[in-house]
Amino acid sequence: MRLERSFYCVVAAFAALTLVYCALGFWAERDGVFVPAASVFCGAAAVGVIWLGWSFVRAGGEITSIATQLNCDQTHQIKPCRSAWLKVLTEALNNRLSDETSAQLKEQLKQLQIQNKLLSAQKTHIDQVIYSIRDAIIVVDEFDKVLLANEAAGRLFGFDFATAANKPVSELVEGAKPEFVDFLRQSRTSRAPGSRKEIDFDDAEGPRVFDCRVSCVCDDGGRVCAVVAVLHDITREKEIAQMKNDFVSHVSHELKTPLASIMAYSEMLTDGEANDEQTRNEFYSVIRTQAQRLNRLIEDILNIARIESGLVKVEKQPVSLAILMEEQLQMIRSFAQEKDIRICSEKPIVHDCVLVDKDMVSQVIVNLLSNAVKYTKPGGTVHVFTEVDEISKKVTVKVVDTGVGIPADELEHVFDKFYRVGANKPQAKGTGLGLSLVKQIVEKVHGGNVFVQSKVGAGSTFGFELGLATEVVTAKS
Amino acid sequence: MTGKKVLVVDDEIHIVHVVAIKLRNNGYEVISAQDGTEAFELAVSQKPDIIVTDYQMPTMNGIELVGKLRQNAQTNKTPVIMLTARSFVIEDDQQQQLGISEVLSKPFSPKELLRSIEDILYAKAVAD
Repeated sequence: MRLERSFYCVVAAFAALTLVYCALGFWAERDGVFVPAASVFCGAAAVGVIWLGWSFVRAGGEITSIATQLNCDQTHQIKPCRSAWLKVLTEALNNRLSDETSAQLKEQLKQLQIQNKLLSAQKTHIDQVIYSIRDAIIVVDEFDKVLLANEAAGRLFGFDFATAANKPVSELVEGAKPEFVDFLRQSRTSRAPGSRKEIDFDDAEGPRVFDCRVSCVCDDGGRVCAVVAVLHDITREKEIAQMKNDFVSHVSHELKTPLASIMAYSEMLTDGEANDEQTRNEFYSVIRTQAQRLNRLIEDILNIARIESGLVKVEKQPVSLAILMEEQLQMIRSFAQEKDIRICSEKPIVHDCVLVDKDMVSQVIVNLLSNAVKYTKPGGTVHVFTEVDEISKKVTVKVVDTGVGIPADELEHVFDKFYRVGANKPQAKGTGLGLSLVKQIVEKVHGGNVFVQSKVGAGSTFGFELGLATEVVTAKS
Repeated sequence: MTGKKVLVVDDEIHIVHVVAIKLRNNGYEVISAQDGTEAFELAVSQKPDIIVTDYQMPTMNGIELVGKLRQNAQTNKTPVIMLTARSFVIEDDQQQQLGISEVLSKPFSPKELLRSIEDILYAKAVAD
């Protein structure tokens, strides 16, 4: 570059000297050798000036090109110039660009790495959430290969969820549930936004029913790219629905039975089918007793419903069970005497104070005592015991009768709603709700236990157990 | 259809009683039972012209009773009217298969029961 600059100076100086020489020569002498010499010098000078000018123009163009390249893209290297002194400029600029580009790229790489870590952490978090969900989840792609399956799905269908990815779903589940695979395929083919189907399972955990909901995921072009299946265990909901249906059916039947008598006898009276006073009185009596039965039934149903729903107001207070028992025994003795049944009771010698709702527990005692008297034949006995266990802090009440007894295969059902022992129905009337109410009051409201023992022909022992209270109630003398 | 014999079966004694009074007042002879086992024995021994039975009974329900009646040569043609307080217990094809002539829901009208008995016995007499 120094050489080029020096050459430009020499040419410029030569051109300037030539002009001065020619100017002096023309002014001093117009003929002779001077004129041709001057012409040669002028021609050479002109050529030199032209060439100098062209060099500067070229340099200017290259500088413009450099500026244009920088303006368009600051990451690419600038093209090398022909001018030596511009080459230095170009190299300097290229070095600078490389450093800046490198720094930018490094920064971008760092940002990408940070984002990648964040995305990985988010994905791991989402995966953990999906794997922890109790519902079975399976996601397959458009070729029915598993994209994702959680632990619940693996347990349900019997495959290892950790190694399920990319395997055909039919390979994993078809052996257990071919209809599930068909359902996935149908949903994918139909492109339905959401489909639902109940699928039955019967495995080591017993018979279960699952609500399977499938939805399709579509890409921007409307093509199904994934199918998501979620299976939720609805076995308990089905059981509850069935229990509700059964309860409604039972209640309906029990309410219609006394109603049938009331309506039939009313119609007979209206139509004059009761020919004499005695028959008419008999009909009136039946209507009255059946209406009372209907009323008791409705009360029992409402009581049970209130207790089960938690709507009943419970007022607990310290009460002596023996005193409560004695009060109810006084009321049942007259009924027992009519049937010639002897009632025996023993007061405990230790305190038997419990924290209970007095009215509710009175109802329990009444139900147990009246059952014992109803199902005991004349001449039998009903014995009442109240036992206190100071060590386990519990008090136990037992009502032991010498009645008809209950068959062993029916014992587990006696506390069920509306259940009545078949063979004992002719012995006495009942709503089938008395013992169910006893169980609800003792267990649900007071946290105690009910129990029964029985032998056909020998009699039954019904009882309940409650925790002792801390306060003491002195027995009335 | 006076003089015809009707077997009334129901574990509710009041229902048996009111139906018996209604039928006797209209000239029918009435025999009764309170469970399916007793009813079957009476059906075989007494050969009633028609049986009116409740569905829900201890030891043997109405459907089981009818099934047993249809397996016995002496009772397999006896018409049966079923009384039930359940909203839905018998399919139409099951009713036809067992030869149950009619199903009446409780609470029922004694007048309507009498009318049904008369219609069924009349149709049976015409068919015979």
